[in-house]
Amino acid sequence: MTRDEARAILERAAAPSEGREIEAAIGGGRSELTRFANNEITQNVSERRYALSVRVLRGKRTGRATGNDLSPDGIARLVGRADLAARLSPEIPDLLPLPPAQKYREVDSADAATASLGPDARAREVGRAVGRCKDAGITAAGIYETGSGTIGDYGVTSTLAIANSSGLFAYHDRTNARFSISALDGNASGWASAESHSSRDIDGGAVAARAVEKAIRSRDPERRPPGPYTVVLEPAAVSDLLIDTAWLSFGALPVQEGRSFLSGKLGRKVAGENVTIRDDPYHPLHQGAPFDAEGMPTRAVTIIERGVASSPVYDRQTAAKEGKESTGHSLLPSPNPHGPLAGHLVLEGGSGTIDDLVARVDRGLLVTRVWYTNVVDPMTATLTGMTRDGLFAIEGGKVRGAVRNFRFNQSVVQMLNEVEALSGLERVGGVVCPGLLVRSFHMSSVTEF
Amino acid sequence: MDGLAREALDTAVSRGAGYADSRLLETIREDLVVKDGQLCGLDQSESRGIGVRVLVDGAWGYAATDDLTREGVQACAAHAVAVGKASARVLEGPVRLASEPSHRAVWASSCAVDPFGVPLERKLDLLLRIDGALRGVKGVTIAESFLTFIRKRQRFLSSEGSDIDQTTTRSGGGYAATAVLGDEVQRRSFPQAEGHHQTMGYEFIESVPWVEEAPRVGEEAVALLKADQCPAGEFDVVLEGSQLALQIHESVGHPTELDRVLGLEANYAGTSFLTLNTLGTLRFGSPKVNLVADATLPHGLATFAFDDEGVEAQRWPIVRDGLFVGYLTSRELAHRVGEPRSRGCVRSDGWNHIPMIRMVNLSLMPGSGSLDDLLADTGHGLYMETNRSWSIDQLRYNFQFKTEIAWEIKKGKRVRMLRNPTYQGITTQFWNSCDFVCGPEAWRPWGVVNCGKGQPGQVADMTHGAAPARFRKLRVGAGYSD
Repeated sequence: MTRDEARAILERAAAPSEGREIEAAIGGGRSELTRFANNEITQNVSERRYALSVRVLRGKRTGRATGNDLSPDGIARLVGRADLAARLSPEIPDLLPLPPAQKYREVDSADAATASLGPDARAREVGRAVGRCKDAGITAAGIYETGSGTIGDYGVTSTLAIANSSGLFAYHDRTNARFSISALDGNASGWASAESHSSRDIDGGAVAARAVEKAIRSRDPERRPPGPYTVVLEPAAVSDLLIDTAWLSFGALPVQEGRSFLSGKLGRKVAGENVTIRDDPYHPLHQGAPFDAEGMPTRAVTIIERGVASSPVYDRQTAAKEGKESTGHSLLPSPNPHGPLAGHLVLEGGSGTIDDLVARVDRGLLVTRVWYTNVVDPMTATLTGMTRDGLFAIEGGKVRGAVRNFRFNQSVVQMLNEVEALSGLERVGGVVCPGLLVRSFHMSSVTEF
Repeated sequence: MDGLAREALDTAVSRGAGYADSRLLETIREDLVVKDGQLCGLDQSESRGIGVRVLVDGAWGYAATDDLTREGVQACAAHAVAVGKASARVLEGPVRLASEPSHRAVWASSCAVDPFGVPLERKLDLLLRIDGALRGVKGVTIAESFLTFIRKRQRFLSSEGSDIDQTTTRSGGGYAATAVLGDEVQRRSFPQAEGHHQTMGYEFIESVPWVEEAPRVGEEAVALLKADQCPAGEFDVVLEGSQLALQIHESVGHPTELDRVLGLEANYAGTSFLTLNTLGTLRFGSPKVNLVADATLPHGLATFAFDDEGVEAQRWPIVRDGLFVGYLTSRELAHRVGEPRSRGCVRSDGWNHIPMIRMVNLSLMPGSGSLDDLLADTGHGLYMETNRSWSIDQLRYNFQFKTEIAWEIKKGKRVRMLRNPTYQGITTQFWNSCDFVCGPEAWRPWGVVNCGKGQPGQVADMTHGAAPARFRKLRVGAGYSD
């Protein structure tokens, strides 16, 4: 959907009218995903979808209606339903009026070639990756996903364009490309991925080669006892742990409610001096949206600076509570129970490669990625999860044989105080982060493979 | 509108599809959330669209659109065929579908009181009364309650002659009280974590004692702040039904999905330890353990007349007297376990996503005796209630769960409240340690509404029935003791 098409729909929906304010937002686009397993394409899907969400405010009352009939009649019906819901809703004392027009930074993250990439091109790339695996006697499973617009995983759409009756209008188109592959040899497995806003950055054969090497190394894992280990976490593992921590701790709402490890600790040391965490959609590896679900400009926010808690991210509601300005991190239209989210995390890195980190470890483990993380204790950001797709022993600064996968129970806060070294930055899983060398990572039990 | 489903089918077949089906789907949904005395979300949504699935040259293609003009639907079907042709470029062998009679049917789930006809004021009043009761408890820091109503109407047509019109109405709600003190964050939920949902109308909401239970829920959240830490070690553990429902979901449901077993989910959710050679041979659990898949369970969240590839709903054993005997299958994969017909487990979460194997309702069959009988029989152990977190490895062996609350069992009675209970185990060891399952009077259906699977990810819902049960010598305390 072009800027002009979006503007026409939104201006119709959010036209000023007496006695009420109106906000309208569009999310959606096109999403295509080729899925393969057992060395063949097993699913291949394409989706075209847009949704319009209309919010009406009548003083301190508000209601919302969402639909995908974007015809004039459909839009009028949505506005009518949102208006009726607003009339029926009880007053919300903290409800804020809609914001006026805002200024946004330009972010170029839409690539025409990626937007038009078809199923044949994806199949060719998949074919190259599968071929690389078959040559090594390994079974391939994975995806090649491309899209334009804002359709995310699990069908969730973020804001493509937003307007309101106070004159605000924002639009940001984007494209995405992601290739992920698991190389399987019985229960031994390796994994690798690549992601970018442009399909030109995707080389399925190269990604497959990395996964194959991991899979071959993962054969015949040795059983090691649970306990604390020195670990080198590759960026994919770091990414997963940070995403959970952002949900738990980096938004202003959990901080205000006293359930974040940052609560009451702003300005105090919470991590090692080598840890700086920001939320920055303008980082060159992110190229994210310059506004949030309320149409507020997104600012880069330093959350932890050289180990000292600096600031959570804010939406309008949480900012108003502290007399501050929104940092543009609203996840959903206000009001919502979730609060703002740091969705463009950057953990500042060091230099060098994962091998450089490994070289510093006399005895430890190399963790390719983690899986099925979940919260054990919110205030210490203690997470449990499994190692997956490549767990290896490190001895004398070298990667040795494979190790059976562990379940871990690890406080991320403690981990951020035990970081000994950081590698260069990558973008993986939507996070820009380095690999980490961490002392005393808690492996809790061993699984069967 | 219904002509569009036919238009899609005709276009796909004329473009070269050997098989095609189309699903024209309309979903309406209402979500209400109240947090700390304020309406925090009131959203009414609707979504209409069509999904077209084709087999071309033995390979799958799928395309979906919300452009419900004749031209839009034709373009969508043509694109599905183009996608299928691309799939055929990387194919080891053609897809074979198990046969299924063609069906012509109209079906609707039972719904005595239309939830979309119930005035908003009445629903809001219920949430505000719950909220007031929760916040009336001194020490409750956060009170959050919600109601959710969903209606889906789907028209399924296939090139084999099926024409199925199904309407499903789901109602649900729930609430939680959170108490925060220093570094302790404790929560109690009702009726379970993520709320309680059934395929019913508003009569389901009216059957639950929401407001009456709220003071107890709030008081338990506050009491947990100062409760003793759950001890670590090996304990005999009694699991309450809703926690056991999630245990069934993670350690029985997912590993019995045949697509996982055959490696089709390997890149994301993983595979399964229940490889084909374990069918009929693996001692999955103790003789007390009987698990049944049932797409006909009254009011279940995965209850339907036909699945999303037009296969009739069925009921069959998964674990019989402890022996592993059944998988969850599809038309594509049934022949891989020597079965001539699909078990009817294929579903999608909307018109925009391709149907795939999803759990139907899957329940632990009741044994005998009440919860009091079980506690009395236990002597000394732990009783754990209401899930708080979950995790399991990609082959579904090693799991860890945390519940919101536990009590020490001493001399057959619940005595001391305990905070932060966790337990960990290996799936088959866990189910083989089961030596007591309570009877039908303690058996309840528990809905799961956040089951994620697939790429792109899809969210499915299903019901797991369970009564409290006992497991011997579980490892307790992980995350707090190591």
